[in-house]
Amino acid sequence: MTKKRKRTKSSKSARKGASAVTRSARGALSVATNARKTVKQRVAAMAEAPTAVYADDASLQAMLGVLRNRDEPVKVRLAALQALQASSFSVVAFESCRGDYIAALRAVAQDPDPELRQRALGLLAREKDGFAQKKLLEGLRDPSKALVPPEKALQLLSYDVHAEAYPLARAIVSKPPNATAKREALRLLGADAASAPLFEKILRDKDEPPEIRQISAAALQALKPQKLQALAREIVLDTSEQDDIQATSLTALTQFGGDKMGADDEALLKRVDRLSGTASTKVKQSARRFLTKYGR
Amino acid sequence: MPSGLSEPQFAALVDALAARPDEREQLTDLLREDHPLYDQRGAATTVRMRGWILLALARVGVSDTALLFVLDELDAGADPYLVAAAARALRSYPSPTAAFAPFVMRAIANIRYRDEPVCLDSYGEYAVASTGTSPVRELFVTLAWLGPHARGALREIEALREQRGRLSSKLLGDLDLALEAVRGAERVDALDTETCCKLPGGLRSMFSWTLGSRRSSEPIEATVFEDHDGAPITFKEFFRGHPSIVVFFYTRCDNPLKCSLTITKLARIHTLLEARGLYDRIQTAAITYDPAFDLPERLRGYGQARGVRLDACHRMLRATEGIAALGRHFRLGVNFIESLVNRHRIEVYILDAEGRIAGSFERIHWDEQQVVDRAVEVLVEKNEEKSEVAPHPPSVRSTVPPMFGTLASLGVAFFPKCPVCWAAYLSVFGIAGLEQIPYAPWLQPVLVAVMLISLTTVWLRARSTGRTGGLYLVGAGALAILASKTAPGWENAAVWGVALTLAGSLLSAVDAENGRPIFLRLRRITTRA
Repeated sequence: MTKKRKRTKSSKSARKGASAVTRSARGALSVATNARKTVKQRVAAMAEAPTAVYADDASLQAMLGVLRNRDEPVKVRLAALQALQASSFSVVAFESCRGDYIAALRAVAQDPDPELRQRALGLLAREKDGFAQKKLLEGLRDPSKALVPPEKALQLLSYDVHAEAYPLARAIVSKPPNATAKREALRLLGADAASAPLFEKILRDKDEPPEIRQISAAALQALKPQKLQALAREIVLDTSEQDDIQATSLTALTQFGGDKMGADDEALLKRVDRLSGTASTKVKQSARRFLTKYGR
Repeated sequence: MPSGLSEPQFAALVDALAARPDEREQLTDLLREDHPLYDQRGAATTVRMRGWILLALARVGVSDTALLFVLDELDAGADPYLVAAAARALRSYPSPTAAFAPFVMRAIANIRYRDEPVCLDSYGEYAVASTGTSPVRELFVTLAWLGPHARGALREIEALREQRGRLSSKLLGDLDLALEAVRGAERVDALDTETCCKLPGGLRSMFSWTLGSRRSSEPIEATVFEDHDGAPITFKEFFRGHPSIVVFFYTRCDNPLKCSLTITKLARIHTLLEARGLYDRIQTAAITYDPAFDLPERLRGYGQARGVRLDACHRMLRATEGIAALGRHFRLGVNFIESLVNRHRIEVYILDAEGRIAGSFERIHWDEQQVVDRAVEVLVEKNEEKSEVAPHPPSVRSTVPPMFGTLASLGVAFFPKCPVCWAAYLSVFGIAGLEQIPYAPWLQPVLVAVMLISLTTVWLRARSTGRTGGLYLVGAGALAILASKTAPGWENAAVWGVALTLAGSLLSAVDAENGRPIFLRLRRITTRA
């Protein structure tokens, strides 16, 4: 067979294959949007329908119609949302659909169903959508208007550093509605250079839970790495410190400490040497990695 | 203008300004990125505010001064709401011109994959239905407004139409209308071909030389930077001695058409400089708007990822004590919420070897070759004898005022008190027909005024060069001359006054950079002529 004939044959096969997929996707879409089918059938069909969504306007509108329709079962609507999200990954092919898709997400962001609201807001937040940010901030300021729990709102707002969330996050850190919200607020503030002193204070505070202190250590590494190095050293030398935090500090010193740092610090090396033999498993492992790096 | 307005108050203010014809230019002023109204506003809030101003301009008409902001948004805007508002605003410009077409096409390319419904009817609202408008739709309508003036972009527009399935059916209708208008019945010849592709007036070049005296860099010479390696260096240490190209950016900018592109272009500038053998003679610096977050490692990573070369002459810098002083000196187009940038413009500066701002490119995308060419001009003005390119002739303007002032001082000092003296003067010069030249006492106050103007000029020169010796001498000379005219017993002071004025004028006119006397420069001017 000549090369030209081989190329023609393979492109014909590819087209046939593509057509088969399209027919299959269209068939799935037809099932997915058919209210007479069972929820299970429709949810299963939704998983095969994404490529049919941008095939034509009617297909798109059919899928969006399912998503927007509050009379449809929530599971089916969630599956529709997932199919649309999958479809949107094909940015170029999805171009003609994007406007309607964003509008639908904004409508669903205010849906009575909390899971749908959260998913829609999550997708919008990843797009740094101003509408979503406005709603999330409103909810943090006034809990009666909240569309999602505060910790979720903070998590979604953290996708965009420009989202004006820092003052609210600081307020939540000082007066948290719950522990999870405080944690998410701190994560969000991890991109706020002005919060470095806050993280230093939390990391030093042995009364704070380990997870919160670890988040603070990570934030300090991003904002003031030299400060973290100094603090990490103090923590490792402190015989009354928590194991988790000592392990975190050893990791910070090992990963980010610079090639010569540990080698010249006899007091630190001596302490880490002792920890490598007598401490908990987690601390021992971190200590041994430190010693491996600094040549002991 | 109060800066602590709530958003509804701000919207009402904009509407009020739009309603009053004599205050409409204030709307343009509100678009300055560094306007206090944007201080401590978030990015999304800033978008809503700026969009509302553009929409107000769309209602009242875009002037030439506002046009730059509209084109800026089309050129590099990434926010759907702002691009839609700018597209609508452009249509309120008095007349379409072919020069707008590239901006509209660029905006379409920038925003098409971020197209979304927008609400342009009321402040702060977001569209939750897709029945309204969108930035791409507004841009198509603007193309239709341009009509035959967009004929230069016809192929691109047709290519858009030919992309099957990419545009929604709603947008296809608007695109077809635009195509029809662009293809139009009017002959291209009938259009203003002479002004084809030329932007109005002051927008033809986005580059501007610093007019008049270059401001001394003294206020920021002590500014301490940390470079991409963490090495400290002051403004004076880095920027004095070589012309420099300076760009501003920050690593958390989420508009790829601004900071990321600026730094990528900086890498290309390095290539261009090297090709011309100027890599070690013209320095470059990228200064971050966000020094608190953009630590050395981040600066280095950001620059290297975009191909920037980093060494002693080409650095990425953060001001260790904050950006405020630099902001004031450069008059940066940026604003902040706490330390985070909420909005900034594209800006590139060319500094001379004294660290003074010699020129700037603002807003619309700059061309790397142009920037390098301008920097070379500044380099040449420093090294006139060594340059292969003919330098700018020394500015005669900079030398005339001091000499003129000396003549005026002479005139004042020796102005005749009476017509007899007047006749005597003229006879000294052998002028025939003395009776035909009347005594003109009005000339004296004129000469005094000219002398004072000269003094002012010398003062301005002293401010810009930092050398005040000439100013003191000219000032003392002026006082002596005035004393000789007004104080009894001080008549002989006139001679000293003239001498001091002459000495001060000469000193002021000496070349500030290499101390070469003015007569050598004048000789070069005449030689070249």
